[in-house]
Amino acid sequence: MLINLSIDRFDPNCDRGAYKQQVKVEAKENETVLDALIKAWQQDPTISFRRSCRSAICGSCAMEINGEPRLACQTLLKDVVDSNGNLSLGPMFGFRRLKDLVVDLQPFFDSLKDIIPWVLTKNNHDGRMTPEDAAKIENPATCILCGLCDSELGDGREIGPAAIVKNHRLALDARDMLGLVRLQLNRKYPEEMAAFRENLKSFCPKKINLPEV
Amino acid sequence: MITHDVVVVGGGLAGLMAATTAAGSVDVAVLSKLYPTRSHSGAAQGGFNAALSEDDSVESHIFDTVKGSDYLGDQDAIEVLCSEGPEVIKELEWAGVPWSRTEDGRVAQRSLGGAGFPRACFAADLSGHVVLHTLYERALKLGVKTYPEWYLVELLVENGRISGLFVYDLASGRTEIIRCKAVILATGGYGRAFAKTTNAFANTGDGMTIAYRAGARLADMEFVQFHPTTLYGTNVLVSEAARGEGGYLFNNRGERFMDRYAPRKMELAPRDVVSRAIFNEIKEGRGVEGKYVNLDLTHLGEAKIKERLPQVRDLACRYTGIDPVEKPIPIEPAQHYSMGGIRTDLNCETNIKGLLAAGEAANVSVHGANRLGGNSLLETVVFGRRAGRRVVEMVSKETAWPELPGESLERAEENWKNNFGSNSPLDPRDNIFKIRREMNRTMTEYVGVFRTESELKQAVDILAGLKERYSTLKVSRKEEPFNYELIEHIEVGYLLDLSEIIALAALRRTESRGAHYRTDFPQRNDQDWLNHTIIWRGEKGPEFGKEPVSITKYQPVERGY
Ligand SMILES: Cc1cc2nc3c(=O)[nH]c(=O)nc-3n(C[C@H](O)[C@H](O)[C@H](O)COP(=O)(O)OP(=O)(O)OC[C@H]3O[C@@H](n4cnc5c(N)ncnc54)[C@H](O)[C@@H]3O)c2cc1C
Ligand code: SF4
Ligand code: FES
Repeated sequence: MLINLSIDRFDPNCDRGAYKQQVKVEAKENETVLDALIKAWQQDPTISFRRSCRSAICGSCAMEINGEPRLACQTLLKDVVDSNGNLSLGPMFGFRRLKDLVVDLQPFFDSLKDIIPWVLTKNNHDGRMTPEDAAKIENPATCILCGLCDSELGDGREIGPAAIVKNHRLALDARDMLGLVRLQLNRKYPEEMAAFRENLKSFCPKKINLPEV
Repeated sequence: MITHDVVVVGGGLAGLMAATTAAGSVDVAVLSKLYPTRSHSGAAQGGFNAALSEDDSVESHIFDTVKGSDYLGDQDAIEVLCSEGPEVIKELEWAGVPWSRTEDGRVAQRSLGGAGFPRACFAADLSGHVVLHTLYERALKLGVKTYPEWYLVELLVENGRISGLFVYDLASGRTEIIRCKAVILATGGYGRAFAKTTNAFANTGDGMTIAYRAGARLADMEFVQFHPTTLYGTNVLVSEAARGEGGYLFNNRGERFMDRYAPRKMELAPRDVVSRAIFNEIKEGRGVEGKYVNLDLTHLGEAKIKERLPQVRDLACRYTGIDPVEKPIPIEPAQHYSMGGIRTDLNCETNIKGLLAAGEAANVSVHGANRLGGNSLLETVVFGRRAGRRVVEMVSKETAWPELPGESLERAEENWKNNFGSNSPLDPRDNIFKIRREMNRTMTEYVGVFRTESELKQAVDILAGLKERYSTLKVSRKEEPFNYELIEHIEVGYLLDLSEIIALAALRRTESRGAHYRTDFPQRNDQDWLNHTIIWRGEKGPEFGKEPVSITKYQPVERGY
């Protein structure tokens, strides 16, 4: 089918603001948004966007697809184009735009430093962990640091959403010296946390589902 | 000018392991074209081999690896790999890796192809992902300086010694020079030379070509692994873990055809054997719709698939529309791994002073002619750690700074300028994407699972033509941030060099061994070919030589599964 891509363009060297560029590409409905975007790029190689794994594991291709926070490689065309084949792509809302679909992720990666982002292994750890304890950290450990949650839910003041996810992953680790004490860092009331969990679940591409603790 | 004692190029498992090992003792930085957590190591699903259990042994891991390598692996290197494995897994446990566990709390292990024992340590089917993120955490803990989205363009070598790096900073759009005493290349594989590959877009073999152009020796480039089970169409990987957990392969008659090719190991024979079997089924008319075969997981049941193979299920559902809980999934072989790479010794050093290499970019030759599942991830951490340790020794011994980059820098700047200009292609309709497509098709069709002289010669000719066309192409826009057109241009250049080398090396090796299968020479020939192919840059192109294989304990015998 024919896809009418409408892509946000912005070049800091010459544009005062962003504008939309229309590119038409031929693609199958079972192909991904990333496939379509790559075809557009082959028509106009000046379009900048990040990608690498094309299998939803590296976190590079996070963007706004029809205004929704998604991974381009995880989104099938048939699920997002309208009956006229229209599809709009923009950079993540929550970050400074650097060029076209590329945003400044340095603050995002730096936000992890607001927690202690590594396991502080207990001195008497014997190398074992029960399968039940292992199961507790499995889901939060699948976070791919794509940045969508910070874009969507971050307010720039407190510990960022992805840092909260990592904080949970570490707090629930049976090896960790600090354990649940870490969660005090989140500085969120229980009802705020509950809303955060629900919000995150609704769009996180890895379906991160933080447990109540 | 930026200076560091050591620069690690690559933020995947090998790079992060090297950097975090060296950190604290020397001033080390990581330079990576992707944010480290975006590296393709994160896509690895199956696991890390290590003989941890009392019933298993390092010796048996060594033997399986030697045999899997079709006797081309260097046995001294394999001994290092297997004997340091358990210790490194322990180190990762302490660093915080969230492994899957057995009932008694140990690191869970599963069977992968070619192994005599379930020895791949895993975390569901996200093994690479969790270790990559844990090592990234360790890098944060140790305060390792990183340069994310900085692109290595050339190594600067003065009088046979590393003197610095010529790099492109994507965010600023400018080139920079980094001065250093040593460089560890951990830039991964070159899967994107092929049309069908499990590899990420970023896997363009940069480090191998950059090192080769700077005078480093490559080895065994003809050995390219094709993974038997990738999703038909997209070639997204379905981990060997799917067969390790009990999956079956069926042809269009519903036969478990592996009994014809590997009656004992069946689906868990090594990858070269299974890939050839699949192509053979398809060729003889037993492929489903003539194109693929089926991987059946339905008998494993939803609970097991959910627990052990959640990512595989997710990927299959999304990219084929088939839920493996309900129906078999269509699969076909595709390029997966580069056994060849930058030739190193056991300490990861190359023939250029101050240049080390580790991980998939390197060839210390633990995989020989065919890599076993689970051994590559192990290699990244074992040899990444060795590279990190070695570099600390080197820098503390050799305190003097190398010469400032001089001639090499002039050359690098000249080459850089050559990328730009107004386009005057041989054919006005030519562009970089066309060249890439033709290269990809050539590699998959003529330098694939089955090879023969006439096709390899054809490939060499086509590639030479592509190189010529490439040399007339230019990038119009210069120093701009996030100039992916420029990156594409540079990467296709790297891949063309490697493709030519792979095709020529495959043409040269007139035998069949491991992943290199010549239909015109179907036997292994130890008399003439029990040796490594060594490749270096000559005046007119690549030159080839041989080097003996290190054999310590296991004399080559016929490989049967
Ligand atoms: C889908 C898949 C599944 C796999 N599963 C398994 C498995 O289960 N078990 C197993 O043992 N092996 C597996 N492998 C193989 C294994 O994952 C890889 O061989 C290994 O992860 C490579 O790690 P690396 O650190 O060498 O390179 P990579 O992880 O590829 O990292 C390369 C790094 O180099 C950087 N880089 C590259 N070029 C440049 C440049 N020019 N400038 C700056 N930086 C650069 C990149 O940014 C990246 O950070 C799998 C491979 C694939 C493709
Ligand atoms: S929690 Fe989800 S949305 Fe946030 S960074 Fe991780 S994977 Fe992305
Ligand atoms: S390209 Fe890796 S997540 Fe989309």
